Amino acid sequence: MGSLSRRTAVAGIGATEFSKNSGRSELQLAAEAVFAALDDAGLSPSDVSGLVTFTQDANQEIAVAREVGMGDLSYFSRVDYGGGAACGTVLQAAMAVASGIADVVVCYRAFNERSGRRFGQPDARVGGEPSSQGLEMSWHVPYGLMTPAAWVAMFARRYMYKYGATSEDFGRVAVAMRRHASTNPAAWFHQRPITLQEHQASKWIAEPLHLLDCCQESDGAVALVVTSVERARDLRHSPAVIAAAAQGSGAGQMMMTSYYRDEMAGLPEMGVVARQLWEKSGLAPSDIQTAIIYDHFTPFVLSQLEELGFCGRGEAKDFIRDGGIEIDGRLPVNPNGGQLGEAYIHGMNGIAEAVRQIRGSSVNQVQGVRNVVVTAGTGVPTSGLILSEA
Amino acid sequence: MRVVAGAELPPLAIELTPTVVISTAIATRDFTPVHHDPAIARAQGSADIFLNILTTMGLVERYVSDWAGPSARFRGLKVKLGVPAYAGDTLTFSGTVASVTESETLIEVIGRVSLGPHVTAQATLTPVALG
Amino acid sequence: MTDERDHLMAVAGKAIAAGEGPRIAAPLPVNAATISHWTEAMGERNPLYAGPDAVAPPAMIQVWSMEGLNRDPDRRVRLPVDDVFEALDEAGFTGVVATNCEHTYHRYLDLGEELTSGTRLTDIAGPKRTALGDGYFVTWNVTWYAGDEPVAEMMFRLLKFRPKTSATAADESRNVGAEAAREPYPLRPAVNRDTAFFWDGVREGELRIQKCGDCGILRHPPGPVCPTCRSTRRTHAVASGSGTVYSYVVHHNPPVPGLRTPFVVAVVEVPEGVRLVGNIVRCATEDVYVGMPVRVTYQQMDDELTLPMWIPVEA
Repeated sequence: MGSLSRRTAVAGIGATEFSKNSGRSELQLAAEAVFAALDDAGLSPSDVSGLVTFTQDANQEIAVAREVGMGDLSYFSRVDYGGGAACGTVLQAAMAVASGIADVVVCYRAFNERSGRRFGQPDARVGGEPSSQGLEMSWHVPYGLMTPAAWVAMFARRYMYKYGATSEDFGRVAVAMRRHASTNPAAWFHQRPITLQEHQASKWIAEPLHLLDCCQESDGAVALVVTSVERARDLRHSPAVIAAAAQGSGAGQMMMTSYYRDEMAGLPEMGVVARQLWEKSGLAPSDIQTAIIYDHFTPFVLSQLEELGFCGRGEAKDFIRDGGIEIDGRLPVNPNGGQLGEAYIHGMNGIAEAVRQIRGSSVNQVQGVRNVVVTAGTGVPTSGLILSEA
Repeated sequence: MRVVAGAELPPLAIELTPTVVISTAIATRDFTPVHHDPAIARAQGSADIFLNILTTMGLVERYVSDWAGPSARFRGLKVKLGVPAYAGDTLTFSGTVASVTESETLIEVIGRVSLGPHVTAQATLTPVALG
Repeated sequence: MTDERDHLMAVAGKAIAAGEGPRIAAPLPVNAATISHWTEAMGERNPLYAGPDAVAPPAMIQVWSMEGLNRDPDRRVRLPVDDVFEALDEAGFTGVVATNCEHTYHRYLDLGEELTSGTRLTDIAGPKRTALGDGYFVTWNVTWYAGDEPVAEMMFRLLKFRPKTSATAADESRNVGAEAAREPYPLRPAVNRDTAFFWDGVREGELRIQKCGDCGILRHPPGPVCPTCRSTRRTHAVASGSGTVYSYVVHHNPPVPGLRTPFVVAVVEVPEGVRLVGNIVRCATEDVYVGMPVRVTYQQMDDELTLPMWIPVEA
């Protein structure tokens, strides 16, 4: 079994607009994003032989295939654990292509997450079912600990306690993301930057998290086309080569509530991903020019910088205070504005931004990009990518 | 200065000493023993003497009036009572301007004690102009 | 139960139909001494309420009709609501707690005005299950008059409840105000054969930690197989009930069904070596801190569900 590194590439990216009310079905959003990604690659639906999406996606692969007029499929697969799936879909696609199971695989995520079912709202039914997940949540839901923000806040408090980080340190992440989004016309928060004072004055969601520590809920869809590097070279854009792709889950892992293991001040599952990414790509943090760091909630941006090795444990607050994640900083993070500023499409829009950075076509282009690291949803079993120029 | 919806009133903390609990009960002409006699209050299952409702109404009015000043007039005061406010506790008020129209200003107030919210209230005022 | 309700509703129906009761004269006119006593006690410094042209603070309205210290029970005028209170007392709903008070002020009152007040019963609702016990919500309205001019009104609602027995009387908390009618608590845990021992223990006032029947290791949350020795022989230890806050959140938004915000949820580390999640109650949210010593308590949420919770250890 050979290495997966640098054998496949992202050859096309596509998205719908990002909004609070798409006004159309999730299936239509999925179809539009897939068309856009295939057009971007210069491929047609009949070229596609595989589809990968999230377990949480409401659009079955066969339904998407019917809508866009795909023919025979030889590969279809889903990745679990919410936003942790994002880079995992690319890993699955890359494995299918590299192993000859499929030639062209499309990864997609489509939802009306603001106008339809809102993830940020509590749902009393989650504790009802004695499935392993229902039982896991039953240790928390009866106490009202039942929203993603509150689950993350529990980690954030411990992180603050252990490392002396403050709410303002989290706020600096939000301010940077909104600044990046403000110059990105595709971002929901285009031309709407915020100040640290506004962050501090925004209402409490779950202390220590303010409203502006939390990503928005969005409607929209993103699709990515994965094929072999050889085939990608013949397509419309220069390929974003998949130098490494990895999934990770840690010991004692739970969904958003891994409170019963270790220090609660890190993200061991992201450590599992990071070690694989560096080892399999042969790269190091110093080889990365810009990073797409999953930012559904600000505190986990700090722990990810540490897990990925961009700074030492507990030092992310200093890294950020020094402007390290700004466009002109040491490591520009989420030039598109991230989940906080552009849209919350479960991290798939971040992968698309990484591809644009490799192509040199981003509206907030970082100079001299050769390698981009991308992470997926945090607090859950997760995944990551390193994309490189061809 | 124009008052806008969403503006916050400065918080106010009132130490509920026995003197405060008793003097306000008497000032509202409420001589029920649970508001001034700790032994009787405890015998009836309370932790201590506690604020009477007329005082809660009065303190909410005072909290809003401290902010709104003498030019504003109250048209109504709606109060929902929560946990008791016992002597020895601290009653902390916070408030927000909920809405402003040409004819009315609506203020939402919460008074918290250590057990939780003691009072949630809505005060309706004539237009407020802050100095 | 139905007979009891029918009887109470009949008494209340009659009282509601009777409309406004007799107008009762306030014992004192609106006067400067009572106002200044009130403003001093409240800490009210609004200049409107002082001096020769003073008006009365509007929130004082009910003060004017308070009967005072040496009220004479024989001279007291019977009001329509009295029949309802008597019927509720006789049925065992002896507890009383006020839930709502709403004033409407038609105008401010000047010194020297003489007031009367009229009371009418407007509503009775129940029986409702509440944190304090089963009870009825009773609502009445008072109108104050200067001559025939209505100057202010008040809606007042209280709960007359049948007190619970002492075992569950520790209901003071959970951010539950008195008026919160207790439907079945909506946030229920899923329970299966691997976790039932924990919830059974909680109902009996025990905090049970799963213990491997072979290697003896303690584990929470529990599961069917010991991850250390693969044993499926399970027992449990009973925790001492003390713990330390390891981390916590203060939940504000969005609202959560069955709970009032803000509330505190904490990860609590117990000396037995495991962590548990639960609410911190009987403690101001701003007083919680990482490292705070706490001890377990048990809160009956409804007829079936009891939850373990944590309260501060008294210093």
